[in-house]
Amino acid sequence: MLAGVLILLARNLPAQVPPDLATERAGYTAWLKTAPNSPLAAIANQTVGTGLRLGPPDSDIPLAGLPEHQVLPGGTTLMVKGPGFERPISRGHPFRIGRYALYLSGNGTGTTLTVFGDSSAKDPPGYYDYDPSLVFRGPLMRLEHPQGVRVLASDGMDAEATEVGSFSIPLGGGTQLRVLRIPVAGSEESDLEIFFQDETNDKGSYPAGRFVSLIPAAGGQFRLDFNRARNPYCAYSAVYPCPAPWRGNAIHAEIRAGERYSK
Amino acid sequence: MKLVLLLQVLSAASSAHLNGPWSAALDLAGGQLPFDLNMRSSPLGGQLCNANTCQPFSSVRWQRDTLLLEMADYAAAIKATVHGDSLTGFYHNVGSRGPRTIPFRASRGRRPITPGPRQLLGSWNATFFQDLGTSPRVFEFSNGRRGLEARISSNTSDYGPFAGTTMADSFALGLFDGSFVYLLTGKLVGDTLRGIFHAGLKSQTPWVAVRSSGSPHLRSPTEISSADTSQPLRFGFPDLSGRMFRSDDPRIRGKVVLLEILGSWCPTCHEATPTLLRLYQRYHSRGLEVIGLAFEATGDTAVDAAQARRFRDKFNIPFPILLAGVNDEQSIAEALPQLRDVTAFPTTVFLGRDGRVRWMYAGYHGFSRGKERLLEFDKQVVRLLSEHQRR
Repeated sequence: MLAGVLILLARNLPAQVPPDLATERAGYTAWLKTAPNSPLAAIANQTVGTGLRLGPPDSDIPLAGLPEHQVLPGGTTLMVKGPGFERPISRGHPFRIGRYALYLSGNGTGTTLTVFGDSSAKDPPGYYDYDPSLVFRGPLMRLEHPQGVRVLASDGMDAEATEVGSFSIPLGGGTQLRVLRIPVAGSEESDLEIFFQDETNDKGSYPAGRFVSLIPAAGGQFRLDFNRARNPYCAYSAVYPCPAPWRGNAIHAEIRAGERYSK
Repeated sequence: MKLVLLLQVLSAASSAHLNGPWSAALDLAGGQLPFDLNMRSSPLGGQLCNANTCQPFSSVRWQRDTLLLEMADYAAAIKATVHGDSLTGFYHNVGSRGPRTIPFRASRGRRPITPGPRQLLGSWNATFFQDLGTSPRVFEFSNGRRGLEARISSNTSDYGPFAGTTMADSFALGLFDGSFVYLLTGKLVGDTLRGIFHAGLKSQTPWVAVRSSGSPHLRSPTEISSADTSQPLRFGFPDLSGRMFRSDDPRIRGKVVLLEILGSWCPTCHEATPTLLRLYQRYHSRGLEVIGLAFEATGDTAVDAAQARRFRDKFNIPFPILLAGVNDEQSIAEALPQLRDVTAFPTTVFLGRDGRVRWMYAGYHGFSRGKERLLEFDKQVVRLLSEHQRR
C-alpha cells in the first residue's frame, strides 16, 4: 500500500534536472542578471542614421533622468555629445552615460545603437520542469547540396548560416525540423540550430518560437533535447528584432520543456 | 565561527589530498578531450598540461567545498568537487553571447603513455569537410615523452601540442588551454587517415588526410587578407585609460607602424607577442611603432579592459593597446573597413611611413613557420624603415 502511494507520488514529481543542464542554466541566468549587455537590460535599439537624440521625453530615445545627449556621425567614427563633452564611441564596447550603457553594432547607414539599463531589475523567465520524454535521438538527414542562407540568430543579429538538413521527431504526428548551422563568432565552433514553434507559444512559452541546438551523439546520431530550448533575445526585450519563423518548423504539439516566457 | 574553522580544516585536508598528477578530460558531445593537471597542495596551486607543455593556473582556491582552478588570461575557470580520487565539475567561460559550460572530470594519477604506431608519425595533408566546401590543414604526428602528440597547421594558425591516447591505429588527442577546446579523433585506414575534429562542446568537422607530398598544401599567410592601399589606413579607438588614439596621432605620424589585431582570449596571440616585442625593441629607436588592436571577448568594457591590461602586463608591453571591438569578423570589418578578409587572430598589418597598408600577415605559425615569420617581419620592417617619405 505504502509502496503504491510512493510510486504514485514519484510519478507526479518532476524529474530531476541533470547536473550539466542545471549548471548551464545557473550560469546563463547569472549572466542575464549581471552582464552590462544582458539582453534583459536592453531598453532601446535604433538605427543611428543622421543622428539620434537621447534623454528628454521628446527625444528619439527618451531616457529617464538623463540630460540631452546626441549620437552623431563624425567622420570615420560616431561621436557622443553631452553636456560639456564630445567623445567618440567605438563599436562593441559600452559607452556609459549616467546609469545607461550605449553599444554600437552594424556599419555604415545600418549602424545601430542599443541602450542598456539595469539588468538586475528584471527577472529571467525561468524554465519548465525537466521532461526526459522530450529528448530525441536520431540521424540528421543531410541535404545533398547545403545552402547558404541569411537568418537572424537568437540574438537578433544577421547571421550567414547554412541549411544543412532536417531532423525528425515523432511529435505532432511526425515533424521534420529544418536544421541550420550558425557559426559562433570568433571561433572554429558552430551550432546546429532549430528555430521552432509549438502549441505552448503564447501560453507559457515565447509567442514567436524558441531555439534549440542539435547535439552530436555517438554513432553519427544527434540528440535533440527540448529541455535546452531557449528564447530568442526578443523575448527578453522588445527592442530586439525577432527571427521570422522557419518554414516547416511548426510542431503541432505542446513542448512543455525548456525556457518559459512571462509577459 | 566554528563552521568557518571546520571548512578551513576540511579544505586543508582536501588540499593535501590533491597533490600530484591528475588525468583530466572535458566531456564534449563527441568524446572526451584529454589533458593533464599537476596539482600542488602547499602552497595550493597547479598547472594545466597538454603533453609536456604546462601553464600554471592563475589561482587555485577553495570556495566552500568547491575547488576553483582559475585561468584569468581567458576569464575562465574549472569548478570541481572532490570525491575520493576523482574531481568532477565544469569548465566555464563567458563570450560575447553568454556563458559556455562544459562538463569536466579528472582522476588521480597519470594517464598511461601510449605511443603512436610508426606508420602514423610524420606529416599529413588533411582536408576538413565543411558544409559549403573544404579547408586544408597539415597534421604533424610525433612520439614525445607523454606518448603520441600532434600539431595542426591551418592557413592562419598552428595549434598544439595535442596529446592523449592511442589504441592500435586509432587516436583521441586533445588541446585545452583554458580558451581553445579542441579534440582530434581519427583512425588509420590503409594509407589514409580519417576522423573528426571537435571544437567546443558540440561542433564536429569530418576530415581525411593523406601523406604530405612535399608540395604546399596551405595558403600563404600573406595571401589571406588584403587592404585598400589607395589612402592611409584610418582608425580611432580608446586606449586602456580611455583616451582616444587615432591614426593621425603624433606618436605614429610619419613612422613605420605594425598594427597587431589581437585578443587577450586568443592563445595564439599570446604566443606571437614575444616576436612583436623583439621587433619593437630592435627597431623602435629607428622609427618603428607597434599598436595592439584588441578585439575582446565579452563586449563588457570593465571585463575586456581588465583582460587587455592583464595581457599587456604579462608581457610588459611598452606600446599602446587599444580596445577596438569584439572578437568577430563583422566587428573587425566595421572597425577597420579598409581591410578585407581579416579572419585570423593575430593578423599583423604593416603600415609604411605614409600610413598606407604595405603588407599583411595572417596568423601565427609558431612551430612550423615561426623563425621564417620573424625573418620575414624583420625584412619588411627594415625595408619600410628605409623609406623616408613623410606623411
